[in-house]
Amino acid sequence: MSAPSRLTLALPKGRVMEQSLEVLRAAGLRLDTGGGARALRYDAGDATIIEMRNADVPTYVELGVADAGVVGKDVLLESGSQLVEPVDLGFAACRLSLIRPRGAAGTVQRVASKYPRLTADYLRRVGSGAEVVKLSGNVELACVSGLADAVVDVVQTGATLVANDLEEVDVLLRSSARFVVNRAALKLKHETLRPLIEALRGLPGSY
Amino acid sequence: MSFNPPDGTRYVLPDAAARRAEVVATLRDLYRAWGYDMVEVPALERYDAGHPRQAQSFKLSDRDSGVLALRSDFTPALAQLVRAEHPAVAGGARRPLRWQYSGTVWHAIDPELARTREFSQIGLELIGVSNARADAEILHLARESVRAVGLQPRLEVGNPGFVRALLDAAAVPDDRRDGLADAIDRKDRRDLADLLSSTPGGGMPDAERARQSLLAVPDLYGGTEVLEHARAVAPWPEAQREIDRLAGVLAEFEDASELMLDLAMARRLSYYTGVTFRAYTPDYGQPLLGGGRYDGALLPAAAGFSIGVERLLQATLARFSAPEPAPRVLALDDPAARVLREAGVRVVRALHTDIEEARAEARDLRVPFLLVAGELEPVAGVAVDDDERGDLTALLAAAAGGAA
Repeated sequence: MSAPSRLTLALPKGRVMEQSLEVLRAAGLRLDTGGGARALRYDAGDATIIEMRNADVPTYVELGVADAGVVGKDVLLESGSQLVEPVDLGFAACRLSLIRPRGAAGTVQRVASKYPRLTADYLRRVGSGAEVVKLSGNVELACVSGLADAVVDVVQTGATLVANDLEEVDVLLRSSARFVVNRAALKLKHETLRPLIEALRGLPGSY
Repeated sequence: MSFNPPDGTRYVLPDAAARRAEVVATLRDLYRAWGYDMVEVPALERYDAGHPRQAQSFKLSDRDSGVLALRSDFTPALAQLVRAEHPAVAGGARRPLRWQYSGTVWHAIDPELARTREFSQIGLELIGVSNARADAEILHLARESVRAVGLQPRLEVGNPGFVRALLDAAAVPDDRRDGLADAIDRKDRRDLADLLSSTPGGGMPDAERARQSLLAVPDLYGGTEVLEHARAVAPWPEAQREIDRLAGVLAEFEDASELMLDLAMARRLSYYTGVTFRAYTPDYGQPLLGGGRYDGALLPAAAGFSIGVERLLQATLARFSAPEPAPRVLALDDPAARVLREAGVRVVRALHTDIEEARAEARDLRVPFLLVAGELEPVAGVAVDDDERGDLTALLAAAAGGAA
């Protein structure tokens, strides 16, 4: 068919960006991200990279502004976006959990979370009538300060919980970074994307 | 009082409205040339709890306490029309009906992520026949639709019957099918493996083998070589039959280069029974149209597709965005204006009979010519093209000569 086409990749800022670049390079993409400060959108050799907050990755990929991207399964489920997600990259592994002050008993009345959709789904599933409050960051504070009597948030090592005298009561889901692809791009840039997907799957830790 | 329309609806201004009318006319002509007759169905429907999109429909209360719904999908409405007007076809008689439609549909959804609640669809249905030639005709017209509006088509083609056959062979209980089909459709092998390991009904050697095959389905996409891979992955007779069906459709195409197979397409598994497809175009990240065969879902034999007109317009606008040409002439002379309009020239009728006021009116409209007593007068302050002036003068002269 047509000649291999150039990819635009949506990658989240921060640590996941560095890990993403690492696996994409290991899968054979030549990506030169330069040294210090970078533009939000830049040409990195084999692909154009756009940097953004992780919660925006599904939007960019779903609307096809980016052909593919890397995002946590938790963020992807919260977005409700319908993307092709052919590779579990394995890194950024975490749990999305219901957290309460240690030893708290009684009915949960109000749950604070950065994940209001997943939280509401969970509460419906377990038959709880608790209300959901959407916060943007530092969700543990809601519990510590008494804004909410429980929070739903990401737990990686559990150190933050111990430091704030909180405990994980239930696990909503297990998450890790996914390589996500726009459905149209998978068909239009098949010659470039299919080998990349297969190479990513072959990396240790991926599935 | 807000001047904005309700959430998820929009005004369409002249340039966009003209472009839309042109695209719709192009597609109608294409379908007409292939023998598809135009039909219309009411936008107001009787509310039906069994309607495939009932959860997404706007409901209205009728005066006799009945409930109505705004049309949310043309296909079920056309199926009703078949039942009303062609009961024999609705009862299974093999007689082809080729119908096209266009109009507005409404979805009662949150207007998020670039979706509106009121939008236009154009599409067609080939009802009363189910074979490879019919499937190929629909698929071909889907491809031609994209080409007809000046875009390069790329179609993904699948057959959910293949996934269904494998789910049968894997003895997957009914309540687990949608979840598995969704994971397959997203090519999410991690979810698929997790879901399969918690799905009851395994254990028998054959069911276990079918479960292994299901794990391979997300990767069954690409060119025609996919058919051979699928045959090797899924040796069950029902699965082979579904692959044959797809192969039969592809065999109808002289040039299959713009078609790509994807056997993981498993959306709306209980609705689509045969070939399904979506069309894309380079540099546009969303599907332009979707459709397929849905025998038994609404009618014994039917297939079709529908195009989201706004999406299609957006995709074409990225390429050509010629503004609607402004009217060329302001007329104080009605008979002469008729001559120009019959030749396709846009002529506005002056609202003032006083010549000075008419000149000012022409300047405000940015119209280059004023038509007075059979003569064209260039409008001061508006750029005039001498060739255009010559063409218009010739039209007027020819009409005057013919009359004389």
